[in-house]
Amino acid sequence: MSISDAHSPASDDLASRRDMIVCDNVNKWYGDFHALKDVSATIKEQEVVVVLGPSGSGKSTWIRCINRLEVHQKGLIAVDGVELSNDLRNIEKIRSEVGMVFQQFNLFPHLTVIDNITLAPRWVRKLPKSEAEARARALLDRVGIPEQADKYPGQLSGGQQQRVAIGRALAMEPNVMLFDEPTSALDPEMIKEVLDVMKGLAESGMTMMVVTHEMGFAREVADRIIFMEDGEIVEVGTPEHFFTDPTEDRTKLFLSQIL
Amino acid sequence: MSEESGVALESATEDDIDDKPILKPEEPSLPPGEWVRKNLFNGFFNSVLTVLTVFLMAIAARGLLNYVFSEERVWSAPATNARLILTFAYPDSQYARVWVTVGLLAVLTGTSIGLWAQWAGVSAKKLCFWSMNLGSAILLSIVLTQPGVHRDAAGEVLRDADSDVIRKSFSTAMSDRLVWWIVGLAFIGAGLLAWNWLGEMRRRTIRVPSSFLIFGSLGLVVLSLWVVNYGHYAFIDGEFIAISGRTVATTTKQPWTLMWLILVGSFFLGRQIRKTERASSVKGLLNLGWLLSPFVIYWVILRDPAIDYSHVWSTDLPLFLAFAIGGGAVLWLLSYPGIGEAGRLAGVGLVVVAIFQFVAAFAGWYPMLQKVRLSFVLLALLGLAASNFSGERSQRIRFVGVWFVLAALLHYFATVMNAPATVDVVSENFTGGLTVTLFVTALTLMISFPLGVVLALGRTSSLPIFRIMSTTYIESIRGVPLITILFFFSNILPLFLPDGMDIAEFAAIILGYSLFSAAYLAENVRGGLQAIRRGQYEAADALGLTSPQRTSFIVLPQALRISIPPLVGQVIGTFKETSLIAIIGGFDLLRIGNQVIPAQTQFLGIKRENLLIVAAMYWVITFAISKYSMRLERRLGVGER
Repeated sequence: MSISDAHSPASDDLASRRDMIVCDNVNKWYGDFHALKDVSATIKEQEVVVVLGPSGSGKSTWIRCINRLEVHQKGLIAVDGVELSNDLRNIEKIRSEVGMVFQQFNLFPHLTVIDNITLAPRWVRKLPKSEAEARARALLDRVGIPEQADKYPGQLSGGQQQRVAIGRALAMEPNVMLFDEPTSALDPEMIKEVLDVMKGLAESGMTMMVVTHEMGFAREVADRIIFMEDGEIVEVGTPEHFFTDPTEDRTKLFLSQIL
Repeated sequence: MSEESGVALESATEDDIDDKPILKPEEPSLPPGEWVRKNLFNGFFNSVLTVLTVFLMAIAARGLLNYVFSEERVWSAPATNARLILTFAYPDSQYARVWVTVGLLAVLTGTSIGLWAQWAGVSAKKLCFWSMNLGSAILLSIVLTQPGVHRDAAGEVLRDADSDVIRKSFSTAMSDRLVWWIVGLAFIGAGLLAWNWLGEMRRRTIRVPSSFLIFGSLGLVVLSLWVVNYGHYAFIDGEFIAISGRTVATTTKQPWTLMWLILVGSFFLGRQIRKTERASSVKGLLNLGWLLSPFVIYWVILRDPAIDYSHVWSTDLPLFLAFAIGGGAVLWLLSYPGIGEAGRLAGVGLVVVAIFQFVAAFAGWYPMLQKVRLSFVLLALLGLAASNFSGERSQRIRFVGVWFVLAALLHYFATVMNAPATVDVVSENFTGGLTVTLFVTALTLMISFPLGVVLALGRTSSLPIFRIMSTTYIESIRGVPLITILFFFSNILPLFLPDGMDIAEFAAIILGYSLFSAAYLAENVRGGLQAIRRGQYEAADALGLTSPQRTSFIVLPQALRISIPPLVGQVIGTFKETSLIAIIGGFDLLRIGNQVIPAQTQFLGIKRENLLIVAAMYWVITFAISKYSMRLERRLGVGER
């Protein structure tokens, strides 16, 4: 895998790296409800950003705007230098380079695990079947469930399903991975296995944007934490700064409620 | 009985190749007396209900039995006209073609069952029950059927002074039926013996392979043709034959025996192929075979086209080659990986050209062979799909290969359908009866299924133009009775066709019926489409699948699986409603029973017997479809868990 031989993020100077995701004054409304208010942020290559915030703060909406599952009405979003517009070609190009993992896994129930993983590489990347399957098996090894290849998603536990979903996203060899509350639908004993896979991914140098409620993961893995509330970014900082010495009152209130 | 199941037992494990019989732990079964008390007589109300129901069922059974076995029934009418009911007036000299057809279907069926069937077998317990039930049903029928009548030496029914029939006494009637008493008691006895001999554990675990049961019982039926004196009844080329007291004609028993052998033989062939590596490619071939079979059978085997070879060499073949090579080159270009948006535009251009050909035909601007227009349609469809098959050389070669095969099939069938039939019969149609009923059903479903899916997708599309078009189509077709549409297509459509264009009545009926059926099918599929969760669409989008890919790999497979129960209802409805063909003048199964046989001099006005037989035929086929769909649902449910 090309990802595994990349450098660890700490060894580089952050500022000198490529901009992977650029958001500039992104705004979104649902009817009259202002869901995102002037959200601006830049995520660098190989950076791991965790987005925190109370429910309804717009974190999921934001991450879903980045690969156009939701449409923002104002502002600019660019992924790896390609700006999101209504042009279908741009959208398809960005989607095939951004991997996404959902809260509800969203595996395809009528396909086996291996078919779930090989479908997109075969039809979007046009890989031959044998090559796609070889890669899929390698990915299943990486997420720790090589023996489940020929089962159907419904026959797996929640944690296993989410790991397959991560494998499915990785099979497209994306430059960026987006995680939309990947552990929220899981039973507590299965959360760790999914977080371990995500940790491994972060260590291999993948650019990641993670919406989660797992504070332990945020503190340990994140390079930066973005705190959102009511559709706007309240505070941005390193995990140490965020958990030990936050500046904003709203952040302090949030932390006092959850810690 | 018990020995038989013991023998079959040993092969039970070999027979189930890839699925182990799932033995569900059953609840301990109650002794029969206990079961009856617990389920039928648990309380005053339930007891009254049970007694009343049994009473009513007995009356109904008695009515049916007395009707069937009444001295007034002329069962020789449907028996003599069996050929008419199955194939109408297909000429005797060409009848081998019918057997070739049945043989072809037997090969397809046998191989398919061998390759696909996942039979868990029937438990010994169930077999014991079946045997006991069958025996009891025979005994009950003996008692319920009214005594027969006295006949004189010539076979005429004896009547008393008031010209009422004279019935035998009850005791005479019962002793006359001694053979049936023995048969009934034998079945019950065998069931009971096996039940006790096997014991609770073995009753459940021993399983007799379904293939053994099905082919075995079919074999018994075929065997009975050789030994049981069914009588020789026939109506061939205007001659009535009715000889009782002998076995059926050799021209009946020989071919059926051969068909049974072919069926069983191809079943074992299928089983053998299943064990080999080639199984999946053979499955693909079989699917293609099933798809093509209605065309091959109806337009090639049964019709025996008189192909004009000089025309083939001068026009048909050059035309095909031009299309195959020219179209192949176009598709090769369109599947070039770097072609991008230009390719899609070219695909749309081809569609416009294809549509324009039809507009020109109706306006009468320039003459053109229908085959050429259809070839353009096929090319346009593949052109639209070309960008999905861009990629390596080998993939593109395969894509162009598909075009070659499809174009060849299209041109071959168009040529064959245009050639006149050498089989000529009294009426315009060269076949009828059950054959026509089955053909109309098969072809209608084959045409309306893709059309219905497209309409359903259109109706759920986010593009308003597709939505409006589909909704308008569906709602307007559903607002018109089927019979009106059939009348329109068989009588009025030919008037609208441009000069020089002609449509056979059979084709017109299928076309109209397909358009009707598609509207209903679309609504059933739409139900399935709406059940797909939004997350499935999002996951497909997030992976970068294009929307045609998303629809064909993710959405449709799941939606169709959900729609199986209503779709099977639709299939059964389509099959039964082919009987409307009788009203617009076609010779289908119903018309033959209801009008053709009662018009014969020998059987003037005899309708009820035929109708009962026709009803039984409809029921058997419908019940088989229904049973099969239940299995299909269970099998496809596997992935859902």
